Amino acid sequence: MQTINKYILLAGVVAISIFASCEKDDPEIPHEEEVITTLTYTLTPVSGGDVVTMTFQDLDGDGGNDPVITGGTLAANTAYVGELNLLNETETPAHDIGAEVKEEDEEHQFFYQVAGGLNLSVTYADVDADGNPVGLSTTLSSGDASQGQLTIILRHQPDKGAAGVSTGDVTNAGGETDIEVTFDVEII
Amino acid sequence: MSFFISGDSLKTTYETISAGLFKPDNMKIQVLFGLFLLFPFFSQAQECNLTITGHVRDMGTNIPLEFATVFLEETGQGTLSDSTGLFKLENICEGEYHFYLTHIACDPKQIYFKISKDTVIDLYLNHHFELLDEVVVHASRDENSTQESNSVSRENITSESNKNLSDILEQVAGVSVLKSGTGISKPVVHGMYGNRVAIVNNGIQQAGQQWGNDHAPEIDPFVADHLSVVKGAGALAYGGNSLGSVVLVETKPIDEDPHLHGEANYVFQSNGLGNTLNLKVEEKADWASWRISGTYKLIGDHKAPEYFLTNTGKREANIALQLEKNFSNKWSSELYYSLFNTDIGILRGSHVGNLTDLEDALSRDVPFFTQDDFSYNIEAPRQEVSHHLLKLSTKYLIDDSKVLSFKYGGQLNQRKEFDVRRSERSDIPALSLDQHMHFIEGQFSASLWQDVFLKTGLQFNFTDNTNNPETGILPLIPDYRAFQTSAFAIAQKEMDRLLLELGGRYDLKQLNAVTITQSQPHSIERYNLVFHNYSFSGGVKFKVAPQFTTNLNLGYMLRAPEVNELFSFGLHQGVSGIEEGNRMLQAERSTKILWSNDLKVKDKLFLQALGYYQQVNDYIYLQPQSEYRLTIRGAFPVFLYEQTDAEIFGADFMAKYIPVESLDFLVRYAIIRGKDLTNDLYLINMPSDNIFGQAVYSWKGGDLLWNLRFGVNGKYVFEQKNIQPEQDFVLPPDAYFLLGATVGAHFKLKNDSLLKLSIKGENLLNSSYRDYLNRFRYFADEPGINVSFNANYTF
Repeated sequence: MQTINKYILLAGVVAISIFASCEKDDPEIPHEEEVITTLTYTLTPVSGGDVVTMTFQDLDGDGGNDPVITGGTLAANTAYVGELNLLNETETPAHDIGAEVKEEDEEHQFFYQVAGGLNLSVTYADVDADGNPVGLSTTLSSGDASQGQLTIILRHQPDKGAAGVSTGDVTNAGGETDIEVTFDVEII
Repeated sequence: MSFFISGDSLKTTYETISAGLFKPDNMKIQVLFGLFLLFPFFSQAQECNLTITGHVRDMGTNIPLEFATVFLEETGQGTLSDSTGLFKLENICEGEYHFYLTHIACDPKQIYFKISKDTVIDLYLNHHFELLDEVVVHASRDENSTQESNSVSRENITSESNKNLSDILEQVAGVSVLKSGTGISKPVVHGMYGNRVAIVNNGIQQAGQQWGNDHAPEIDPFVADHLSVVKGAGALAYGGNSLGSVVLVETKPIDEDPHLHGEANYVFQSNGLGNTLNLKVEEKADWASWRISGTYKLIGDHKAPEYFLTNTGKREANIALQLEKNFSNKWSSELYYSLFNTDIGILRGSHVGNLTDLEDALSRDVPFFTQDDFSYNIEAPRQEVSHHLLKLSTKYLIDDSKVLSFKYGGQLNQRKEFDVRRSERSDIPALSLDQHMHFIEGQFSASLWQDVFLKTGLQFNFTDNTNNPETGILPLIPDYRAFQTSAFAIAQKEMDRLLLELGGRYDLKQLNAVTITQSQPHSIERYNLVFHNYSFSGGVKFKVAPQFTTNLNLGYMLRAPEVNELFSFGLHQGVSGIEEGNRMLQAERSTKILWSNDLKVKDKLFLQALGYYQQVNDYIYLQPQSEYRLTIRGAFPVFLYEQTDAEIFGADFMAKYIPVESLDFLVRYAIIRGKDLTNDLYLINMPSDNIFGQAVYSWKGGDLLWNLRFGVNGKYVFEQKNIQPEQDFVLPPDAYFLLGATVGAHFKLKNDSLLKLSIKGENLLNSSYRDYLNRFRYFADEPGINVSFNANYTF
């Protein structure tokens, strides 16, 4: 029985040492360097005029407040140069995600989808090391006055060789979607 | 009257034909057969006229044990002890012998003796102090139906040691498997899974991240002597959160044998070109009895009939050490340590970024990222899990009828999950959790006045869960500490043909969670929650006639919400949804009634019918919300943990027919329904109805080769029709049929070692099918044909 008492004692010591620190310490907040909070699509008219900036900004990630989306108004029958900018604004200074994508451009491709009767065409203006389009830089040409939506999709690890992918058709691209944002666009 | 053949009876030479599921039922036939095998020995010109006599007694109480079986492994001679515990073996040659002792409600035991003259020996067996259900599991192996329906024997575990614990458990009636691809599976018992089914490994409730449907229990099935499912009051003695069923993984005490014994087991599987190697050695040394076992698995990409399932390989390395020491006849102790390590690949094509991707995946015949070649490579997405378990237990017999025991269990679970990420972040886990768990238990069992058996205990449980910030992602579940103090008592009374059982349990649960807010800048919030859990259970077992037993169980249980149900927040990749916990959840209250009937007709026909009905008030489930949440990756559906009233009912049927000794037929049928009563919907993830049939022909064979058997089996799984189309992204898959076959034989080698060889074929028709309970049914077909080869060498 004496040995049994020893065990009880041992169990007690273990229990006490556990109880000694009841409250859980504050967790270390993870460094969310990967998050994309902000997408900016800057359209500069080739032959001068107003620069159009479309933004999607969601500073608190998947939950919390709704994202702030700003569409754009383009001039009719005008050629634009488009530049995409991706930021993680939870960091100070903001982390340039666009640079990350550029670094791994063989593994990424943007797709531009026009819907709702918008008279707009978007073509790729950049290529990766294999000569396939990326889509960080684009050229756009607007048609007659109209309105609709422009959706920008970023796929990670798409099959760039699949049918239609190099001309900007997402159907056979596969991969995972990292970005899918839709802007209301008007052409006047 | 019943006798007991242990799962290890294969060690004996006369083992009656076993089809894997069937254990012999009539001891007398076996004994006669055993004696029959002796005839060749009589002819030898050796002095074989020695006699061994003695008594078989209970180690603690010295009470003689009637109907204990005593076998000499070397000769296959066997006998039964009489009402005074007396046994007698005659015509024994001089030599060294291993005695194999079994008795109902005792752990089987092997003892070694040198016999050179007429000998009188007393043999002791350790009595189980067990309850109704546990007795069913351990003792009634002769009652075919009950045993088969509740446990998996050692032989079946070793021949399938390449599989996961949960997949092996599927042989138990009422158990289905919830899968996430080929490598990850969780048991579903009577429609309950995850937080609602406790898994007890070696007497310690399995800790770890059991809440996740894609988190498989971190247990190597090879360490187990048997696996079983306890569905009644016996479940109250184990950890607090089950709603009625407990899965037990149990080892066997080390045999009292001074020789080194062990086994080597190897399984090759054609699908996935998998290799599984298990080794086990044990010995009763002077200082203590010890056993070491180890497992190594290397499995590559599985193959569906039409394509490879890219990145579905698996690696696993496990080791376990068991030490036992009897300090005296009254006092024994055990130390057990196990380490489980696995690296599991997850189908590459199942990794989706948003709903559009999921819809794309649903519309494809062949998953994205499918490679043309087989590979053992495992890349993201994948899981890396390690699990340590340390158990110390000691048992003291206070007097003839009272036992006091203490147990400590410590666990460390480390889980890392890797996703496909940008900028070489795929090597940084997206989820990284460390969980420590400490468990202390004091238990007291006693036979009290008028043969009332009482089992009572106090338990304390502490869990500490920490997210590693290395992930760079806000954690899905918060850091927390949980404290649980529990007490239980179960009483049992055995009368002539009636067994009554009554039990109760109380748990005080405290949860101290620390969450990180989603809003920027992130801040920290603390929550302290307290829950009281009560459970009651009662059971009656009545032997209506020698051939017919009926068993009724009634239970009322509370289950406090778990940390994921309360606090989880984040994107669930697999289902492309945002999952949100609910801090207002109350405990689930469940009433379950279970009625089972066993009928035995002339040792030829065994029938079992089991029905159950369970009502769960405030059943916690994930309710899809009407709103979609817009993120930079598109709009996601939101799922919130809510409560409803639910009912689950079903039935398991089994019939076994043995027209002649060399032939047996088995049919099993299971049906289950789950309903959300408040919303008038069916419950998701309920197993489809299914029917399993098997026919086995066996040939006992001779001295060297015996137990030759051929079996064919088929399984038909019905389409799950009890679900509304809007409850899922896609309709449940079609019904399917799988054909299987086995061939096996045992060979007697020199030095009493034994070689068992078998070949097993699964999905022999190479059918393309998907299963409703596999979450990866959205993405890919199940594996096609698989032929596995198993060699088991026991010495």
